[in-house]
Amino acid sequence: MPSAATKLYADDVSLLVVLLDTNPFFWSTSTLPFSKFLSHVLSFLNSILLLNQINQIVVIATGCNSCDYIYDSSLSTNPGIEKGKLPALCSELLKKLEDFVTRDEQLNKQQSQSLPPTTTSSLLSGSLSMALCYIQRVFRSGPLQPHPRILCVQGSSDGPEQYVAIMNSIFSAQRSMVPIDSCYIGSNNSAFLQQASYITGGVYQKPQQLDGLFQYLSTVFATDLHSRTFLQLPKSVGVDFRASCFCHKKTIDMGYICSVCLSIFCKHHKKCSTCGSVFGQAQSDVASASNLKRKTPET
Amino acid sequence: MPEVKIIAKNFMDMVASLPAMKLDKLYDNAFICEAILRSLPPLAKKYVLQMLYIDSPITAKSMEVWVLPDGSSKHRVAIDRLIQLRVFTETVDRRKETTYKINPTFQTNLQKLLTHGEVLPREPMPSNITVRLPSVEDLDVYAIGQWECFLLQLISSAQAERPSNISSSMMKVFQRGLLSQRDKEAPRLTESGFQFLLMDTNAQLWYIIREYISNSEERGVDPADLISFLLELSFHVTGEAYNSNTLTEVQRNTIKDLTDLGLVKLQQGRKESWFIPTKLATNLSVSLTDSSSRKQGFVVVETNFRLYAYSSSKLHCEILRLFSRVEYQLPNLIVGAITKESLYNAFENGITADQIISFLQQNAHPRVAERIPTVPENVTDQIRLWESDLNRVEMTPAHYYDEFPSREIFEAACDHAREWNGLLWEDSKRMRLVVKAEIHIHMRDHLRGQKQ
Repeated sequence: MPSAATKLYADDVSLLVVLLDTNPFFWSTSTLPFSKFLSHVLSFLNSILLLNQINQIVVIATGCNSCDYIYDSSLSTNPGIEKGKLPALCSELLKKLEDFVTRDEQLNKQQSQSLPPTTTSSLLSGSLSMALCYIQRVFRSGPLQPHPRILCVQGSSDGPEQYVAIMNSIFSAQRSMVPIDSCYIGSNNSAFLQQASYITGGVYQKPQQLDGLFQYLSTVFATDLHSRTFLQLPKSVGVDFRASCFCHKKTIDMGYICSVCLSIFCKHHKKCSTCGSVFGQAQSDVASASNLKRKTPET
Repeated sequence: MPEVKIIAKNFMDMVASLPAMKLDKLYDNAFICEAILRSLPPLAKKYVLQMLYIDSPITAKSMEVWVLPDGSSKHRVAIDRLIQLRVFTETVDRRKETTYKINPTFQTNLQKLLTHGEVLPREPMPSNITVRLPSVEDLDVYAIGQWECFLLQLISSAQAERPSNISSSMMKVFQRGLLSQRDKEAPRLTESGFQFLLMDTNAQLWYIIREYISNSEERGVDPADLISFLLELSFHVTGEAYNSNTLTEVQRNTIKDLTDLGLVKLQQGRKESWFIPTKLATNLSVSLTDSSSRKQGFVVVETNFRLYAYSSSKLHCEILRLFSRVEYQLPNLIVGAITKESLYNAFENGITADQIISFLQQNAHPRVAERIPTVPENVTDQIRLWESDLNRVEMTPAHYYDEFPSREIFEAACDHAREWNGLLWEDSKRMRLVVKAEIHIHMRDHLRGQKQ
């Protein structure tokens, strides 16, 4: 019989995993300087820790080629010191962030030597899976867990080549009831994040004024899962449900779908590359129109 | 779960009841702002955060827009609490529009916390001076030992193993309400005293601290100072040493009392002396019972109503004695039985069946704690049945009337009693009736009116 006290305890305690976009391609073009962005985010992280002494924050940096944990409030440098003391938070986070960015840049150079740079998107799928792994570990560690949620602060555009990995992460988040909130600070809407928030029951928002980013973060994204049932939060207006094809990683409106495993292709293949089913002969263009499935953006 | 009457839910209710002037002064201290913020209901926390950087007042209407229809009661609770604690100030302007503004001191303090982070009230001492600091486990053992010793002393002064320096007058203050003493008789635990013993450590600590603070004025200490010191203490780090020189005179005296309660441990070095906060102290500002701090259970109840408690603590033995017959005691084991007589004893003392059951469940030995139910169902059912046995007869003070001169007057009297909803029994054949005691006056007036 859980007593009233333990229920209260679980109510507004949150475990927040923040995914920070550190993609240099995006920040070089952004109107908001990265330093300002960081100060908004740091204040936001502080405010989460301020709200409850057992709140926990994990920050994962999403780079161009890699991603890594850069801060975990439960493992702050001095285990004796109270969790999330700001000087610790600030210095530790910034130091690790710097290390991470240089490492990421080196990786980028190595890769660009072997093949020409093709992508300018961040490795969102990687950081999403890392966040989910972390949350799974917390779930398994003990009977009493805080309510976890993921917040993606993303600026760079979607990388269609990550479509399958991201969709898989989204579905596993949905299964483990972890909402993915997304704060998109780039120029166009991100279809991936829209879908992620829509499917997992999180909030997607694209701040209109980036100068007031802290106010957006504290008003919308600081809301704990318990209070969300009482509050009016931004609703998604339209979600771009377009998929990417598995063969050329292009975002497509229309395509072929394997009837066995539901893989998506932009043109006709003899054999499904995912499950190996053999497809029939390509029909003439007129006839094949009926096989084409149209995915319309839902409003 | 039965309501425990004697406990104010937490520290913050007490803070809220301070006069406005003092409350405003408290907010000069950033730690208090932080502790207050953490004690708020989730929705209220959210509002504070949302309005932290808004300088102009916000109308009540625009705030209501934030809330969904089912959340309006929660919204009300949150706003009331904020106003009660003077975190928000409410103003009604000429057009009858209510606006809220966040307390400016509170606001600047929190803004500072967000941008600069919190600084501990005092730096821990370097480890080269403090040579032998106790480990976290040792400190926990120490804290619990001190606390149990204090509790034993509280319920029976004779049984304490070592005298503490809490003055007997202070002890009297703590005992007030928990013990009742008649002349030349050993003090007896009152109903709330029994309930107190069955509560978990955090709740007990709150009760004692509350008494300690409300008594402070008699000792010439400002309650607001004491509250701010206690809250500050809760932001210290468990297990670190802090120099006693940093304390004021009043705080040093307070620390001595807190040592007896097990909140801090005092240590003396060659030159300096220092205090080490324990888990009890750092849990002070946690307004909710933190389950992780719950100590390991020790009680096993069997289906044959026998009870095995793996404990060497005298206090545990005393508590078990409240509702069971302790049969024998081994060095690390207390064996008892739950009997009808022992339970009747407990019920007479005002302990309820639910309290006993929840005590047994909360303190279940880890071996049985995993099982569902932790306490065998036949035992819990029987405890409840025995309790309801006692409640079969209900007593109502009443008045009895007979020898009515005529049937009309009798009928009128019955009707009158019914009108007042106080008729308990009537016998129309022999013209007798019984009414509740509280409407006796009305009946008398009515009957007098009939005579004339």
